[in-house]
Amino acid sequence: MGKEPLDDDLVQKAAAGCESAFKALVVARYEDIYRMAWRWVGSREEAEDVAQDVCIKLAGAIRGFRGQAEFSTWLHRVTYTVAMDHLRARRRSLWDRGGQILIIRRPKSRADDVPPEPTSPTPEDDVIGQDLWREVRALPPQQRDAVLLVYGEDLSHAEAAEIMGCSESTVSGHLHTARKRLKERLVAAG
Amino acid sequence: MTDHDLNNLKNLPVPPSRRGAREAAVAVALQAFKTAQPRAADAPQASSDARQVKEADEAIGRSRPIHARRLIAMAASAALFALAVPLVLLQSDRHSTNQLHPGPVPHPSNTDRVITELQPRAADGDQRNLSQIAAAPRPPSEAVRVPSSGLSLREDAPVQVIRQADPDQVEARRFRLAELDAIRGPDISARPRPEQGRERFDAIGPNPVKSVAGEPVSTFSIDVDTASYAFVRRTLNQGLLPPKDAVRVEELINYFPYRYPLPGKQETPFQPTVTVLPSPWNPANKLVHIAVKGYDVVRTQRPRANLVLLIDTSGSMAPDDRLPLLKSAFRMLVDTLQPTDTVGIVTYAGAPSVALEPTKASDRDKILRAIDRLDAEGSTAGAAGIQEAYRMAEAAFDKSAVNRIILGTDGDFNVGITDQHTLKGYIERKRDTGIYLSVLGVGRDNYNDALMQALAQNGNGVAAYVDTLNEARKVLVDEASSTLFPIAKDVKIQVEFNPARVAEYRLIGYETRMLNREDFANDKVNAGVIGSGHAVTAIYEITPVGAPRLLEDLRYGQPSAAPALAANSADEYAFLKIRYKLPGEENSRSMQVSIRDGLQVSAVDQVNGEVRFSVAVAAFGQLLRGEPYLRSFGYNDIVDLATGAKGDDPFGYRAEFINLVRLAKSARP
Repeated sequence: MGKEPLDDDLVQKAAAGCESAFKALVVARYEDIYRMAWRWVGSREEAEDVAQDVCIKLAGAIRGFRGQAEFSTWLHRVTYTVAMDHLRARRRSLWDRGGQILIIRRPKSRADDVPPEPTSPTPEDDVIGQDLWREVRALPPQQRDAVLLVYGEDLSHAEAAEIMGCSESTVSGHLHTARKRLKERLVAAG
Repeated sequence: MTDHDLNNLKNLPVPPSRRGAREAAVAVALQAFKTAQPRAADAPQASSDARQVKEADEAIGRSRPIHARRLIAMAASAALFALAVPLVLLQSDRHSTNQLHPGPVPHPSNTDRVITELQPRAADGDQRNLSQIAAAPRPPSEAVRVPSSGLSLREDAPVQVIRQADPDQVEARRFRLAELDAIRGPDISARPRPEQGRERFDAIGPNPVKSVAGEPVSTFSIDVDTASYAFVRRTLNQGLLPPKDAVRVEELINYFPYRYPLPGKQETPFQPTVTVLPSPWNPANKLVHIAVKGYDVVRTQRPRANLVLLIDTSGSMAPDDRLPLLKSAFRMLVDTLQPTDTVGIVTYAGAPSVALEPTKASDRDKILRAIDRLDAEGSTAGAAGIQEAYRMAEAAFDKSAVNRIILGTDGDFNVGITDQHTLKGYIERKRDTGIYLSVLGVGRDNYNDALMQALAQNGNGVAAYVDTLNEARKVLVDEASSTLFPIAKDVKIQVEFNPARVAEYRLIGYETRMLNREDFANDKVNAGVIGSGHAVTAIYEITPVGAPRLLEDLRYGQPSAAPALAANSADEYAFLKIRYKLPGEENSRSMQVSIRDGLQVSAVDQVNGEVRFSVAVAAFGQLLRGEPYLRSFGYNDIVDLATGAKGDDPFGYRAEFINLVRLAKSARP
């Protein structure tokens, strides 16, 4: 995200404390952040919340940036981290619930409470390729992350490796396994 | 599945974000940008960075008092009071209230600040905790009790609370687990397993029938929450039956205002009225109907109210049934206040902001303007909203007033306090400072139900679910006094049945509020709050001695011959004891009623209409939950029973109920 040269100027101005530049930057990047978040969490409301978190973090961190390249990597990494926190909290809540313990982060649109056949389609239902998303999200986390970073975010293996905190060859390995697995799953599903 | 598919992944459509959410994010980020300090870029990111939390934890571990307290707390109740974590997590910006001067403000590192801020308080808590533990002897077989229906239990806790606790307690807890499971639904990344959670839940269900010979005493905490009813109503209005886990019978019953007899004098905050009537669904059984009505302070002289509205303005609050609804609700609330009351507003959008410093209600326009301004523009970076709200409430604290925070949210606290134990512990400690917390839940997702309940339960407050403006009016205007003014707290009820008269009993509802017998007299055990004018109803179904029983005699149990009784208790079904504390007091008071034949009414239609209506609601809740005790008693019987007991129904709640029962007849599962 953020490959346009426009960003460079904005990042520098925003880093220098220019409010309008920062606003323009957030406006320009919001959709990218949101889309990336959606690829991980798979629901609009959750993705909106992740994106908002990222924007707030951006406000605190922007003054440290000197240029677009660094900024772009940072944005990927933070969006990834926040989305992962989100998923982790969702998972942790399964174990952590001891009685009525509060679950602060929750899957918002997972409404099992709303019985099947919802009266209005959710935005997710309209999305083409939902099956593929679902299969990708069902991969083991590392494989999923590698697929989403490389194929979804169009990053190089090296960039994905940096964000995931592993080596490039590990990323390639995850991708290989993931491709094989996805093939089996999607064939099995017809 | 080909590589082409994967290469195409980045081009697959993503459902677009909503404009409101985008605007909110931009506005919040901009505010955060404005107040960000030059050092912020170097400072560690707050939020849920696990490493940082760990560091902070370690740092705190080095300071003895907190460490000790944490150990004690863990050992004592298996609760994880991660005392210091919230302050760390929240990347607190104490200066954010000073929005006009966002200049650089030096501050120590997060960790330093945590220690300096927490040490004194933690040390107090420490001593208290130690003395409590030392002072409270317990039978060796009983593990340390956990306050308030096991709120702080952890599944993998080191102490064997579960094994040694009362089976009911375990039951109630499992109920919760299953409930959460069922309403949470499967993780999207997991394979669908829709039936599993429900099945597990089905196996547990309602409070069981108990034999008086085996267990003559029943103890529970009152519950004035109403969220379940609003949720049930919403589902039925969509033509669907609610998931039975979402139906809490006592919350259905207590949703309605009842004109039970008021206490005669102000010194007793409430009065119990007991009626024994034939069970409408099983003529051999009887219902013991316990009605408690709180004194209505507004009629005499209500204390001043210091309110802090904590309003969630995060992206997910954009839809009309969330923030806009809350704004209308709070506008109505302002109109009910008296001139000397104060209102402060803190908004919370991942980062909290003070939208209004405490302002006298006489300055109504200023408050309304602040409410109107809430939405995209409202937020700034800083500490978590809930801490900011407590800070404000503490600053404006007035011992003679009622100090209350009202949190309006869809339950999604996704920034700030991310650790539920921490938040719970935080609210619990704040409760002891005399600040109450109530929760208004909005939005479509009933997951927040668990959150709201737990928050309010920990904060000595009320949880209500607000789906329409009408519901907001009920909670904040019609019942403002009970929502705002507590008259008694830690209210517990204990009923001892007379084995000479009663063979079996079961409590209808209150599954999540059961207490152990010994909790009753233990003032350390937290329980529910009664607000001014509140009506609370609890109903037991009893099987008199001689009537057909559900439980068989034990082969090795005591002979079922009726125990010899003192002559003066021969006409007693049971003995009711209520313990409670007055707000601001630490020692319980108690009241007692002996449930005698004289309280008995021989036919259902001769019973007071208020009692009959509450019994109809109880039947409805049990029917929705599919409980086995109702026999052939069905929706039509409920409609008949309720229609005959509608009374004058000034707000139309009872008429609405009758409609809901009719809807339930045709609702899809």
